Amino acid sequence: MVDFEAIRAQFPILDQKIHGHPLVYLDSAATSQKPQCVIDAESEFYRTINAGVHRGAHELAALSTEAFEQARAKVARLVGADSAEGEEEIVVTGGATAGLNMLATAIGNASLGRGGEAAKRFAIKPGDEIVVSEAEHHSVLLPFQELAARTGATFKWLGLTEDGRVRTDNLDEVITERTKVVAVTHVGNTTGAITNIAPIIRRAHEVGAIFILDACQSVPHLKVDFHALDVDFAAWSAHKMYGPTGVGFLYGRRELLEALPPASFGGSMVELAWMDKPAQYMEPPARFEAGTQPVAQVVAAGVAAEWLMNIGMENLEAHEKTIAAELLKLGDIDGIRILGPRENVDRIGTVAFDVKGVHPHDVGQFIDAQGIAIRVGHHCAQPVHRHFGLFASNRASSGIYNTVDDARALVEAAGKVRAFFRAE
Amino acid sequence: MADYGMSSEELEQMYQEVILEASKNPHGKVHFAAGDGSNTIGVDSLSAGQSTLQASHEYCVPAQSHQFNPTCGDEVTVRVEVSDGSDGKPQHIERLVWDGQGCSISQASLSIMVDLVDGKTVDEAMELFHTFHKLMESRGNGLNDEQLEESLGDAVVFQGVSRYPMRIKCALLGWEGLKDSMAQALAHMSGDAAGKQA
Repeated sequence: MVDFEAIRAQFPILDQKIHGHPLVYLDSAATSQKPQCVIDAESEFYRTINAGVHRGAHELAALSTEAFEQARAKVARLVGADSAEGEEEIVVTGGATAGLNMLATAIGNASLGRGGEAAKRFAIKPGDEIVVSEAEHHSVLLPFQELAARTGATFKWLGLTEDGRVRTDNLDEVITERTKVVAVTHVGNTTGAITNIAPIIRRAHEVGAIFILDACQSVPHLKVDFHALDVDFAAWSAHKMYGPTGVGFLYGRRELLEALPPASFGGSMVELAWMDKPAQYMEPPARFEAGTQPVAQVVAAGVAAEWLMNIGMENLEAHEKTIAAELLKLGDIDGIRILGPRENVDRIGTVAFDVKGVHPHDVGQFIDAQGIAIRVGHHCAQPVHRHFGLFASNRASSGIYNTVDDARALVEAAGKVRAFFRAE
Repeated sequence: MADYGMSSEELEQMYQEVILEASKNPHGKVHFAAGDGSNTIGVDSLSAGQSTLQASHEYCVPAQSHQFNPTCGDEVTVRVEVSDGSDGKPQHIERLVWDGQGCSISQASLSIMVDLVDGKTVDEAMELFHTFHKLMESRGNGLNDEQLEESLGDAVVFQGVSRYPMRIKCALLGWEGLKDSMAQALAHMSGDAAGKQA
């Protein structure tokens, strides 16, 4: 039995009052708070073993390199990826957005003929297709929309059901023999809906397309195993999984990483560089980690991954299910509409809602006055909001530290919004 | 104010009665016909092309400005008619209307702005624009100048909003539209004048 009260106590930031009320933090989909062990790991690294990794022969460099690679291994274990030397499947990035952009650029480079024979499997030409879903965060939508524009590919997408789930009833229609890339979110950052990705992945592979998963909203909440899911690439950020900002990870199936040309060039990613001959690049993951890495943050992200594994993702999932159940009671309030699945099935504790007649900015202000932090706006997912006929919404999202009482406090506050603003 | 179960002081500071009231029945808000030119963001009717604008008087130049806050979708088109001085009076705002959608702060601010500047001279309106800007930069402290604050009329109630950096843009949205549309009208006039001279 996991003691979630004790886990909550590991987050020093939660022990404060906002506008005279105890802080209720329900914005973990934007960024999660950090446990003490993660906060400590970063400063401990700087206090004791800070040095450049993968270069230099001194003791500190050896220690920091070891800590960096151990962190990679921990993160790999969290998501069911390989990390043995020469088999690494986790690339360190500057964040999920950076990872997705790098991947799109690398595929673009392959389309320009870079990366030789091996990279031809990624090449996209005019008339090919790139498929995303209407549920995507802008950080998936835009890099792949741009990739389509650069390569002349047709940009297509899977639509949404009425309650905001990615439709899978017309896969054969949308994903065709011409489709080269399919990029879909694992969990909608607005709707909280878990995408039924298995049939999408099957269809993508059936037509020879690569499948890219946005795992930002799944890795922090669900037990995820990229091998079992059979995804080709996946990107997510550390700061939403209780780690530091400025770091993310890109998973790539090893044979694909080996075939993918680099997208960012510089130090620590090249074996041989000449003035008069093309460079010879390193094997992955180094090939994709040009320049100095945010080592302290990666080490701390590794600590976060280990911390999550010690708690057990199944336990966390069950805990957040109870928060989600309470948050979904928002939908019982007169004039409040939930933007996403109403039932507590195949969803996480991210619940977006619209308050009839009250703009999200006003809702957020009212809720904030009671010490409750939620997100208002379009959550970097404008097409999802358009799907619901809105531009912006209010979003509550749970984390490991939330209690059912947190969710109750929000539901209670939300129930008073329309009266305060005299909504008709 | 009813008890909403919070220490409501800050909230009341921000959402004063006059703001809540103005946001419900905003002055100067009209519905622009859809389809008269458009680069739609949210509402089709808000981006009507300049060419379709018609002045209600011969001595007036119409102009409009479309303002958009991408973080929340607040969106407004401000239409102004500025007299060109040929009626013998100093250049002034002959007509000021708007169409848009947004939070109560942006809607109330637009309404109170219309009450304040409609009929004023261009110079007076610009003066008020700068005074209101200063108020919104005051971080909740106000202007510490009774005369200036009085000149703002009801708009002074937005002092409470100026404590919240995220909301300042809401209060300023309509005012930015006013400034921009007036500038366009004036530029149009000086362009015409230059044309006539040549």
